[in-house]
This record gives sequence, structure tokens and C-alpha cells, in this order.
Amino acid sequence: MSDFLTIQNATRRFGGLVAVDDVTTRVDHGQLVGLIGPNGAGKTTLFNLISGFTPLSSGDVHFKGTRLNGMKPNRIARLGIGRTFQNLRVFPNMTVFDNVSVGAFGTHPQSALDALRSGSKRAETISERVWQALERTELAYVATDLAANLSYGKRKYLEIARALAMQPDFLILDEPAAGLNDSETLELANFIRSLHADGLTIMLVEHDMGLVMSVCERIVVLASGKKIADADPDTVRADPAVLEAYLGTDE
Amino acid sequence: MSDLANPPTAAPPSTLRNLVLPILIAIVIFAVVPAVLTSFGRGYFWQIANIALIFVLLAASLHVVTGVAGLLHLGHAAFYGVGAYTAGLLASEQGMPFLVTIPAAAIVTAAIAFLVALPTMRLVSIYFAVATLAIGQMIYLVLLNWVSFTHGPNGVLIFSGLEVFGIDLSSPIATYFLVAVIVSASIVLIHRISHSYYGNALRSLREDDQCADAMGVRTARLKMEAFVISAAFAGIAGALWAHTTGYISPSDFDFAESILILAMVVVGGLGSLPGAVIGALLLILLPEVLRDVGDVRNIMVGIVMFLSILLLPKGLFGEVSALSMIRRQFGDAWRRDENGKGIGWR
Ligand SMILES: Nc1ncnc2c1ncn2[C@@H]1O[C@H](COP(=O)(O)OP(=O)(O)O)[C@@H](O)[C@H]1O
Ligand SMILES: [Mg+2]
Repeated sequence: MSDFLTIQNATRRFGGLVAVDDVTTRVDHGQLVGLIGPNGAGKTTLFNLISGFTPLSSGDVHFKGTRLNGMKPNRIARLGIGRTFQNLRVFPNMTVFDNVSVGAFGTHPQSALDALRSGSKRAETISERVWQALERTELAYVATDLAANLSYGKRKYLEIARALAMQPDFLILDEPAAGLNDSETLELANFIRSLHADGLTIMLVEHDMGLVMSVCERIVVLASGKKIADADPDTVRADPAVLEAYLGTDE
Repeated sequence: MSDLANPPTAAPPSTLRNLVLPILIAIVIFAVVPAVLTSFGRGYFWQIANIALIFVLLAASLHVVTGVAGLLHLGHAAFYGVGAYTAGLLASEQGMPFLVTIPAAAIVTAAIAFLVALPTMRLVSIYFAVATLAIGQMIYLVLLNWVSFTHGPNGVLIFSGLEVFGIDLSSPIATYFLVAVIVSASIVLIHRISHSYYGNALRSLREDDQCADAMGVRTARLKMEAFVISAAFAGIAGALWAHTTGYISPSDFDFAESILILAMVVVGGLGSLPGAVIGALLLILLPEVLRDVGDVRNIMVGIVMFLSILLLPKGLFGEVSALSMIRRQFGDAWRRDENGKGIGWR
């Protein structure tokens, strides 16, 4: 079968600290995979290795047959990997609509020359993609509001909308539920399920097990940079190594 | 202000409504101002009008790189100088016609901007600013010291009269129209660049370039493009300066000039094209209005700048209100469907 995302012996050192330690795993097309682990386990670092934000110290990452090692983030993004950030990163002084348009522009760019003429096909396609993403995330009614003026919860959806406008094949979400209350988390879980139902392959990071257990079909567990489990939710929940990792920290 | 999601049902998608403001602006530039200046009948006023237009273009060009893309550029006047010397030397020493020197100035300036920017585009924030400061100083020193080529501190006299297709345009009113047409056309192009999805991508560099990178935006390339586009328009402004004043010297393009252009953009509103235009008009015309006051006028200009930045840190016409106005009034940039509902930039 053709490979979607494969991570082989990925290692990332920060000085003496091994943030990601010899991790080998894969994500198949159409899967919704969870990545969990206590704070500082290396989840964000692993995401950064996939999206090109942090270079690998050793190991390999392949996406749809292309080796990603050493590629710039924007190149990896254009191969079809969209991401959100753990610490919300919207463009605060731009409207919701304009924020999302950057995602569409990223994978479907308009040249300066194209911008000079009115009514180009490129611009039309970007508009369509933006509205699709805004409607999907129910943000259309705040389209002309400044991103800075949105509530925290809405900004989370804005980040997802921006990534959706890229029309990615693979979406990685870094702790999307952090800072949300229980009902908002539930709503988000349903939303992620619906994205998956539409055929999007998703990898979801949470340090809290609840959300991941409820939506993911497969769960990878990191502790101190090492992969300690990789199985379905029930198996992971019963795994003594996982319990120990969670109890062994002050989480 | 939500003209996009909740459209006022009364607003037709008609292009007519969208044309009112552009037509008004055109009437002011091409009818009201020339009529008023003619009634004054003083050549000096025409020259002030030309300078105001040239600085409008300078501020608008810096707006692209500093206001929209967020790169603090402290050497813009040097590119203005490159354009002026390109046009001035081509006209006075090669006898090139006016209409050739304008694009030549734009191309030479863009090319030099590209070469000097190549090694600096990786730098961020204050480091980039200092690099542009150094670039500005280097170009200024070349203009000053490469005497065999630029005539050094003596400057360059441009004798060739303003002629387009054999028609003499050296009368004050004809020169004004020539400058006004070229500046207006340039502003329309800058308007298209700033108010489009391309402009949004440039804004994302200013907001969070790492995040834009994660969206697939080619950040390094876009920064370079913004820098080069900005320089090209500064080059055109320089060519207009050379032709309208008939004399250029290095001191016209020194650091103080870069700071003046930067002040126009900041006072008007970073990221706002109408703001840049207003900032330029204010800082060129205010000293002229205060001419009778004597030497304290420079202090008064300083006070006006100081107060405007204290009271209106987002500028006289800030980015948010500028973009909202552009969406409502400039139909060529913002598309609506048959119900008047906004669709997007176009
Ligand atoms: N840029 C960096 N420089 C140094 N250490 C880092 C850097 N990024 C992450 N780390 C360290 O790597 C470890 C894993 O961090 P991270 O991947 O953010 O964990 P998680 O997302 O699972 O909470 C932590 O000990 C963190 O301090
Ligand atoms: Mg993290």
C-alpha cells in the first residue's frame, strides 16, 4: 500500500535534552490518530518535526512518498499538511475573512501581477475557499470582525478555518481543547469527528486523555520523548506503562 | 461595519456607488487643484503641488514594505535617489526622452534593491532595520563620492525640457498634469497590491511570519517582492523629482529624507494606503502653510507629529478603518454578489 505519513527513528535533541527520542510511527490515509502524553513529553516537538518548524537531529519523516527532512515549513504545507498551534497564533490585526484567506493563499498563491488586475480566477478561487472554511467553522457571521476581537473559543475555530482553507490532506491539531470548558470541548470533539467523517486525515495532540479517547481510533503515547504505546483507546487505557507515565508526573 | 455578513439590503451591488469616491478624488486632482493654482498664478505653488504628489508616491511605496509587510525600512530615500539619478543622468547625458527615463528608473531601482536585499532578507526586526539603514548610507555615499559618474556634491542639472511625444510639457500646469497622471497611476497599482489576497499575504508576514510559513506562504520570497516593488515606485518618484526640479544632488536623498517618508507613513497610519497619502500631504503642506510663521514652523511641525502619534497611535486614518472604507467604496477591489453581500477581494 502507498504510505501516507511515516516517521522513522525521529529524534530531536535540544542540547542535552532529548525532546523526541527515536520515535517510529505512521499515520494512514483517512485515520484520526491521537497523540497524548504528559506535559513536556515531546508532542509539540514531534509536530514541529513533521511540519518543518524544528529540524530532525536524526531519523526520517516521509509524507506521501516525499522525504520532508530539511524542507521549509511552507514547502511542507504546500505538500498538504495543515497545522494549528498550541499557543493560539491568529493574525490579530486582520479580519477573520482576511486571516482565513492567508491559508487559501498559501496553497493557491496569487502573484503580484495577478493582484494588479481585478476579477482574476485566482482571487475568485481563494474567495470560494475562504467562504467554505468560514461556513464549515460557523464563523461566516463574524467575517469582517478583527481576529483580535474574537472570543478565545472562536479564535480556536479561526485557526482551524485557516488551516482548512489550505485544503490540506493531513491536519495536525496541537491541543485544540486547551483552555476550553467542558461543553466547548464536547462541541469541538464533534467538530473534529465531522472533519474526519468528511475524509480528512487528522492527528490530534492532547495532554488530557478525555477528548482523545472519545474521538480517536488509534492513540500514540509519548513520555519523556519516547513512544510508550501505540494502539486503540481501550488497549491504551489499560496499558500499565501509560498509567505509570501519567501518575508519575504531577499531571 | 459588518458589510460582509449582514449586508445592508438597501445597498445595491452597483458599480456606481463604488465609483463615487474615486471620481471625487480624480476631480480634486485634475480639476480643483489646477483651477485653484491657476487662479493664484504663482509658479512656486505648482512646484509645491508637484513635490506633494511625489511624496505621496514615496509614502505609498514605503507603505507597501513597512506598513503592509511590516519590514522597518530606514533607507527608502536611497532608492528614491537611485531613481532620480537614473532618470537625471539618462536625460541629461544620454538625451533619453522623458517617457523612457520613467520605466528605466523603476527597473534600475528595482534591480539594485533586489541585489542589496538578497543578503539582508533573512534578518528580522531591528537587524533588518539597521541593514536598511546601512544600505541607505552606502547608496548615499556612492552618490556623493563617485564623482566621475554622479558629479558628486555638485549634483546633476537636467536641461532637457519635459517632452512627451514631441509635445512640450514644461509649462507649470502641463508638468503638474504629467506628474499627477503618473503618481495616480502608480497609486492605483499600489492600491491593487495592498488591497487583494496578495496584500493579505504581505500583512500576514507582518503579523506572524512563522505562522504564515506554516500556511504555505513563501515568506522569504514575498518579503523580497515587497521590498523590490516598493523600491521600483520610489524610483519612479525619484525620476519625477529629477524632471520637475531640474537639479538633483545627494543631499536630497539622505537619511533625514528616509525618516521624513517613514514619519508620513506612521503619522498617516501603518498599513493604511489612504493614511500614507494623508501623512505625506500633511508633512509637505503643513510647513508651507506655516511659512509666514518663520523659523518656529519646524518646531510646530514636530509638535503636530508628536501629538498625532500620542493621540492617534494607529494613525490619522488607521488600517482597520481604511480597509473597511476600501471594501465599501472601491468596488474594483471588493466583490459583491447580486444582494450586495461581500464575496471577497478580487
Ligand atoms: N526550542 C526548544 N529549545 C529547548 N528545549 C525545548 C524547545 N522546545 C521544546 N523543548 C523542550 O522539549 C521538551 C518537550 O517539549 P514539548 O514538545 O513542547 O512537549 P509537549 O508538547 O508534549 O508538552 C520539553 O522539556 C521542552 O522544554
Ligand atoms: Mg505541547
